[in-house]
This record gives sequence, C-alpha cells and structure tokens, in this order.
Amino acid sequence: MVPVEYYLVLSAAVFSIGLFGLLTRENALLFLMSVELMLNAANINFIAFSLQWGNLTGQVMSLFVMGLAAAEVAVGIGIILVLYRNFKDVDVTVPQSMRW
Amino acid sequence: MVGAFDYAPAIVLLPFLSFCLAVGVALSGRDLLPKGGALPGIAATAGSLLLSAWVFLTVSGGETYNETIYTWAAGAEATGSLSQPLELTFGLLLDPLSAMMLLIVSLVALLVHVFSLGYMNDEGETGLPRYYAGLGLFTASMLGFVVADNLLMAFMFFELVGLCSYLLIGFWFRQSGPPSAAKKAFLVTRFGDYFFLIGVVAVFATFGTAAFAGEESFPHLAEQAIQGEATVNTFLGLEPTAWFTVVGLLVLGGVIGKSAQFPLHTWLPDAMEGPTPVSALIHAATMVAAGVYLVARMYGFYALSPTAMAVIALVGAFTALFAASMGLVKREIKQVLAYSTISQYGYIMLGLGAGGYVAGTFHLLTHAFFKALLFLGAGSVIIAMHHNEDMWDMGGLKDRMPVTYYTFLAGSLALAGIVPFAGFWSKDEVLYEALVHGLGTTSGLGTALLVAYGMGLIAVLFTGFYTFRMVMLTFHGEPRTETAREATEPGWNVKLPLVVLGILATTVGFVNMVPVKDLTGAEIDFLHKWLYGTEGAGWAEALGTSGYNYHHLLVADYGAGMTAAALPSYLVGLLSLALALFGAGAAYVLYGGTDPDPYTDKLGVLKDVLYNNYYQDEYQVWLAEGVVLPLSKAADVFDQAVVDGVVNGVSSVSLFGGSRIKRIQDGLVTHYAAMLTLGLTVLLVGFAIYGGWF
Repeated sequence: MVPVEYYLVLSAAVFSIGLFGLLTRENALLFLMSVELMLNAANINFIAFSLQWGNLTGQVMSLFVMGLAAAEVAVGIGIILVLYRNFKDVDVTVPQSMRW
Repeated sequence: MVGAFDYAPAIVLLPFLSFCLAVGVALSGRDLLPKGGALPGIAATAGSLLLSAWVFLTVSGGETYNETIYTWAAGAEATGSLSQPLELTFGLLLDPLSAMMLLIVSLVALLVHVFSLGYMNDEGETGLPRYYAGLGLFTASMLGFVVADNLLMAFMFFELVGLCSYLLIGFWFRQSGPPSAAKKAFLVTRFGDYFFLIGVVAVFATFGTAAFAGEESFPHLAEQAIQGEATVNTFLGLEPTAWFTVVGLLVLGGVIGKSAQFPLHTWLPDAMEGPTPVSALIHAATMVAAGVYLVARMYGFYALSPTAMAVIALVGAFTALFAASMGLVKREIKQVLAYSTISQYGYIMLGLGAGGYVAGTFHLLTHAFFKALLFLGAGSVIIAMHHNEDMWDMGGLKDRMPVTYYTFLAGSLALAGIVPFAGFWSKDEVLYEALVHGLGTTSGLGTALLVAYGMGLIAVLFTGFYTFRMVMLTFHGEPRTETAREATEPGWNVKLPLVVLGILATTVGFVNMVPVKDLTGAEIDFLHKWLYGTEGAGWAEALGTSGYNYHHLLVADYGAGMTAAALPSYLVGLLSLALALFGAGAAYVLYGGTDPDPYTDKLGVLKDVLYNNYYQDEYQVWLAEGVVLPLSKAADVFDQAVVDGVVNGVSSVSLFGGSRIKRIQDGLVTHYAAMLTLGLTVLLVGFAIYGGWF
C-alpha cells in the first residue's frame, strides 16, 4: 500500500500549481481551471485519509466537493459571461472600476 | 355604591373638555360657539363646582379617598435599600385640604368665566376661543394639581399651570408688553421649577415613592426614617434629617417661583399685562396659590426640618414686607394689587413656616376670595376707565359705580385686615402663630420666627396704607379726568361675580374665629376642626395629613421641635388691628381729600427705589447678562474646544487612516487573491511557530 505521505505531497503539489495559476494568469477561464485544481488537491487529501483510517467519510466529503465545484463553475461562468459582455474581454486585469 | 369620589375625576376633565372644544373651534376658524366659547367654559366650571361641592360634603361626612387611578410606568426591581420598585402613577387624594381647595378653585374659576363675558366679550375682543381655551386648560390643570396624590403628578400639573399662565399673559400678543411679560413669567417660574424637578427626583431616589398620604407616603417614611424605623437612601453622605432638609428646600424652589416669593417674585407684577380676569384667576387666587398649597400638601415632610421651616417663614415674612413696601408708591391699580398679592402669599408662607398649618391654609382660603374680588373690581374700574389703569386719572368713582365700590371696599377691608372682614381673622392667626412659636421655641428657629413676626407686623402697617391709598385715589375725591367723570358701571356679568365674592370676602373669615373663641369659649373654629379631624381615628389616622399629625411632628424632638408660648390671641390680634387701622387711617387722612397730593413722591430717592422695585429687575438682568452669559460662553468655548476636540480628533484619526488603507483595494482580482494567499501563509506560519512545529 502506498503510504499516505505520498498522497499528501501530490496533493500539495497540485494545490500549489493551482495557486500559481491563480496568481499569474490573466484569463478568467484559466482562473476557474486553477480553482478546480485546488479543489481536487483537497479531494486527494480527503480520499487519502479515508484510505488511511478505513472509513468512508472522506470519500463522501469528496463527492460533496465535486458538487460544490460544479456549482462554483456554473456561477463562475456566469460571472465571466457578464465580464465579457461589459468589457469585450475575459482578461481580469481590465475591469478595475470596483475600487476606492 | 356610586358616590362623589367616583365622579371626582370629572372635576378635572370637565374644564379640559371645554378646553378641547374651544381649541377645536379655534382651529376650525369659524365662529361656531356663541360668546366665543364662554358658555362651554361656564358650564364646565359650574359642573366642576357642583362636583366639588359634592366631594366637599362627602369629605365632611368623614370619608376620604386616596387611590391610584393609573400606573403609567412601573419599575421592575427595587433599588438601593428601598423595599419596593418605583411606580409612576396618577391618582386622586381627596382629603379636607384638597376638598376645600377644589371648592375655592372651581368657584373662583366659574366667577372669572362669568366676569370674562363682561371684560372680554362685551369689550369686543377678538381671539376669544383662544382665551377661553386657555382658561379651561388652566382650570383643569389647577384642579388636577389640587387632587394629585403624588409629587410627580403634582409637578406635571404644576408645569401645565405655568404653561397656561404663559399663554394667557401673552394673550394680546400683538402688543409689545404682554409677550415679553409672558416670557418672563415662564422663565422665572421655570427657574424655580428646575429645583422642584430635582427635588422630585430626589424624593423618588430617597423614598421610592412620591405619594403624599398614607402609610407608604414619603412624609411618613421620612418620619420613620428619622426615628430609625425605616431605611431610606440618603445622598451626599448626609444624615436623614439634613438630607430631608436639602430635598425640602429643593422642592421649595418651585414654590418660591410659583408663589412669587423673593427673589423670584419679579414675574408677577409684569404678569399684569394679561387680561384682568386672568390676573384675578391666575395671579391672585389660584396659580400663585399652587406654590403654597404644595407646602401645605407635603407639610408632614417640612414639619420634620426646623431649618426648612425657618427658611419658609423668613422668606415669607421678608417677601410680605418687601412687596408691601413697593406697593406703597405704585400708580397703576393693578400694580398695587400685584404687590399686595406677593405680600399676602408671603404671609401664607410665614404662617406655614411658623407652624400654623391651619393659619396658613386659612389665609390661603380668605385671600383667594378677597384677592379675586379686588382684581375683578379693578377689572370693572378698568372697563369703566376704558383701559386706563393709572389711579391718578381716576377719583370719585364711588358715586358712578356703587356696586363696584362697595364690593371693592369689602375686599380692601379684608386685605388690610380690618375686623370683621375675612383677612383680619386669617392674617391675625398667621401672626399669632409666628409670635407664640417664636417666643416659645428656644432654638434658632424661635429667633427666626420672631424676626419673621417683626417683619410681618410692619407689613401690616404698609398693607393698610397702600390698600386705602388705592381705595381713596380710585373711588374718593373728585374725578380727575374726563373719563372718570363719565365712567359707568358695567353690566350684570361683572356685578354678579363681584357681589358673590364681596359677600364671601366679608363672611368667610367667620369659619375660624380663634380670637373670639379664646375670648368667649365658644367652639367656632370650624376650619381647625375641619383640617384636624379626629385624633388617631378615621382619615386623620389613615392618611396622616391631618393637623393632629402635623402638630405632633412640629412639637416632636425629631421634628421641628417647636413649643408654643401661652398668649391670648385677642391681644396679639389687637396689636395688628391697631397697626392696620393706623395705616389705613394715614392713607385716609393723606388721600381722603377732594384733590389729594401725590405724597409718596415726596419720599425722594426712597420713592425712586421703591417705584423701581429696588432695581430687582435690573439686578436680575445684570445677573443674566453679566454673570450667566459670560459663564455660558466660557462653557461653550470649553465644549467646542475640549469636548468636541477630543471627539473630532478621534474621528479624524480614523478618517485619515481609512483614506490611506483603502488604497490596497485597487480592484484587481489578482491582487486580492495574492493578499488572500499571503494572509493564509502568514496564518500558517504563525500557527506553526505557535504550535512549535519548528
């Protein structure tokens, strides 16, 4: 059996990739993808610990996270559509009017 | 069984209804009521009078009433060492004192309403609904004050009375004098009421109740507290007796303002700017009576404090003398009457302060009638003189207006204190009480009472003089102007109140002829019996507001500690009667001729001082402008600079900080995400260090 530390390292790596994408990309669609990566990093953690302790709670939780991710994408796509309508672009650095 | 007490609230509500009616009509802007609203007012006060008479008869049967009618605020729990939570209530207290006062107020109010038909309606005044609305509200609030069963309710009606006074003095608001007189009356009495308000709060804080009568009343609790039988809250680290003196003097502030006692008397002479019936009702017979009535109402509280008693007696006696001296030189008939009012209320205060509960109340009763009579008589003269009030323009009105003359003469004899008119019996008893208690009491209170007696005695001389100077100048001699030569007496609505009051002013003194009782042994001191009740039984025991209780407190060691010397009252009476006759005689000799000289003008500087009221107004204006104004300006500077400065400083710090920190909100989503990540990292590192992972 693969020790749980490997899963955790994998999860941390996926999370960091997602975070990196979030901080460096300017395309809003790439934002959504990055967030998806971060959520899946969490899922890996859940399932790894589920395996470790031998119960199903973590797996159930990861199903919830998937549902949540689907909902998040639905809202996110909606926001991106509005963004595109207003600014003719999906670049997140263009809209800067919501500030002090 | 439905009795008089069930209808007692209507005594107050009837005039209030007439007020509402008059206000409604005035607002509708149409002349809907005949006589400008006088008739509802007359009907309402007549109804009040009938109900008052019923209450009076019921009370004379030995029944009294002391009930809470409505609790409008109740506390949840008791504070300090009090046993019960606070309750703010409205209630009725109908005992012999309030029953008597109800009768006085409603009778005078009725007669003044009738008189107003002659003085206001027949003279073609406009704005009559406003006038009758004011009279109605005034009558209602005064009656409400009289029946109040606790100090807070009394205070509320006290203020209403002051408001009505303001409205009615300023009735002719288009002229320059009345509005400023109204403002002055309002402000000066309010100055006194401020202390009264603090006193009310102090009574609540001390006793947890402000009821006047019964076991749980504040005078009774105060008595028990001094004897150590009850616990109350005291403040400022004072013993109960000293603290009760402070509270009593605070309440006395309101009394001094409302009853026009020195140094807050200055509003009353100016208040003569109002219509004369208003002067009669408010500034002679009833509103000014509210102050001294309050002292009589909570007499059981004052009787516990020798200091408070001495202050009451001295203030009263000084006011009696002080005001009488100013009345000597006035030219206008209403001004003389105004100063005599101040002076007579001084006597009432003297009587109450000297331990003469019955004497003071008695003078309150007689004075209400003879002073209302004198003012209405003066009103009749003023109608005939076409609103010229200068006595030097009158003269010889005796033959032109006989009814006014004879009734006015009866009132004057009563005012001067000539036997057998009402004022003699009451004023005499006041002075008698002051003398016997002054001689008998050995403490400082005795000395104070003797000084007060001396001042009261000199004031008797002055009273006789100014009263008959007024009568002589107005009615005797030859007419000095064309108007006076052609004066005619007004109609029935003026004469009727005059005759009723004239009869009362002549006879009402017979209810309490103590000197005659001492001389003959006949039991004719009815007022004494009325206010004393039966010792240790009936209402006297239940309410604790009877003369027996007060007498008990006055002579007790823990109370005022008074002792009465044995003196035959008729000898004391003879002395003051002789002085009054001397004063009146002097006025008769000096002013009785056909064409009198203005003798008082020969007093020179003294006359100027008296005529200008000892420059009291000037000094009070100086006090306001020279002392209070700079003080309040300094306070304003402090407020603006220091208090506001601190507040503004705090707000400008957060304003400035906010204006800088808001710049991190730059609208770039990436930056927000970076800050989130940074924050998360900081948290993680923080927890890691805190948790000891490194």
